[in-house]
Amino acid sequence: MSASTVTEVEGFSPAAFDRLIESRNEPAWLQELRQSAFDTFQSMSLPSRKEEEWMRTDIRMFHLDKFAVPEQVKPEVELPLGVLRQGVDVGGSIVSYNGHTVESNLSEELRQQGVIFGSIAEVLEQRPELLEKYLLTKAVDPHFDKFSSLHAAFFTGGQVLYVPKNTVVKQPLHALSVLGPGGVDLGHTLVIVEEGAEVTMLNETASLDNKAPGMHCGAIELIQHPNSHLRYINLQNWGQGVWHFAHQKAIVERDSTLYWTIGALGSRLSKVNQHVALVGEGAYCEVNGVMFTEGKQHLSYHTLQHHEAPSCRSNFLYKTALQDHSRTVWRGMIKVDNAAQKTDGYQRNDNLILTEHARADSIPGLEIEADDVRCTHGATTGKIDEEQIFYAQTRGFTRKEAMRAIVIGFFQQVFDRIPLESVRDALGNAIASRVREYE
Amino acid sequence: MSDFIKIAEVDAIPDPGKQVFELDDRIVVLFHVAGQFYCLDDICTHDDGPLGEGALEGTTIACPRHGAKFDIRDGSVVSMPATIATQSYETKVEGQNVLIRVED
Repeated sequence: MSASTVTEVEGFSPAAFDRLIESRNEPAWLQELRQSAFDTFQSMSLPSRKEEEWMRTDIRMFHLDKFAVPEQVKPEVELPLGVLRQGVDVGGSIVSYNGHTVESNLSEELRQQGVIFGSIAEVLEQRPELLEKYLLTKAVDPHFDKFSSLHAAFFTGGQVLYVPKNTVVKQPLHALSVLGPGGVDLGHTLVIVEEGAEVTMLNETASLDNKAPGMHCGAIELIQHPNSHLRYINLQNWGQGVWHFAHQKAIVERDSTLYWTIGALGSRLSKVNQHVALVGEGAYCEVNGVMFTEGKQHLSYHTLQHHEAPSCRSNFLYKTALQDHSRTVWRGMIKVDNAAQKTDGYQRNDNLILTEHARADSIPGLEIEADDVRCTHGATTGKIDEEQIFYAQTRGFTRKEAMRAIVIGFFQQVFDRIPLESVRDALGNAIASRVREYE
Repeated sequence: MSDFIKIAEVDAIPDPGKQVFELDDRIVVLFHVAGQFYCLDDICTHDDGPLGEGALEGTTIACPRHGAKFDIRDGSVVSMPATIATQSYETKVEGQNVLIRVED
């Protein structure tokens, strides 16, 4: 173990940026987008703990200069398949390793239907106008903070899904991002669902070494045109040495539905901004969050459900269980614009504290400018009831079995809202295997 | 039980004074008061405030955010709004070096 005074230093230099631009044959508009983001990145400091969003998330031990723009390397071992696609007949899949795509395929049937599913580079060749229109222009703001600008300036891997008008994609599409030891992932996910279309996407992450350091600085953009339907499942399962920073935003237009499931199990520290904008009348969004933390993990999720149009509904439910010295911060906001009359907004965060030193902070909030709305929110935090454990033990359970059953039962409310069995199983198994015996 | 590790040299911190240090997986504050060294986690247990940026009075450190106070000798709470002690570490001086014992 070594000790040193706290200093803040920068990585991702101008020379590294120039090398990235030179190595990629990208159109002028994309180079300009990257340059603009890089200028912002250069002008900004890492967030300070004096800022409200970062008061409870300490990144002083995160040193950007320990990481660099990811080079394309061939994985030396066979990559995992991912847990979300087990038992699922997928219509296409993309795998990336250390921020670069290593595998990409889409069924001929979906290709014939006009569906596009590929890496950013592939789609840039096939349909550049799609990316020019949607990539970092409508949803995620590249200039929001140091991390969004880092991502926009340097992103490499990731995937684009485009579903044409009135196309119903029955088979889910699957994307997996894997980090090797010391790896960096700057992946970008862009999903565009045209009017009347319907699709399910499974997006997950994993690390080859659960303890090795790594960094992910990514973005997710979900763009839904009127009367479209998207089920988006995102499982964050990085190793516990990975710094995870992400900006995620969905734009949901008239009469569209979005079912967004978040599983947050991995990373050393996560700071995620998740934003859903309901921009068309009658849009609906349901977000289901499942978080389980252990060791010294710190997961910080900041959600915003923004009602910009009338008669929209949003429903956010985050459930969290924590053990050891782990820590979560959940800060949720329902924002209702003046025009968004007849809004129905709901948000809730429940925390189950499994050990003495774990800690969960829940900060729900409302910001309402309209006068004919229904918005409710709530948060609960508690421990496992010893009487429940005793009761289970009298029925033949061991203490650990009882704990596991109670924890899974705690999550059942959110599992019941997840439409895909493979996702329920993956999350349930991952959590059950992590639960330990506590006194 | 874990070994002591060197964290600083005796002359590096004035008396009275304090300095923040980063270890592999934690950030700590080393205090030098009346010839003695004390070490605490750089975390206020009330709201995660940085104790290393607080005011040191005798053997008490005040969190700069909400004013919670801790005894630097053992991390115990001296005044609200914190109610739980912050982690303290055993220290010793060997020659010119200040060492602390880090345990989970």
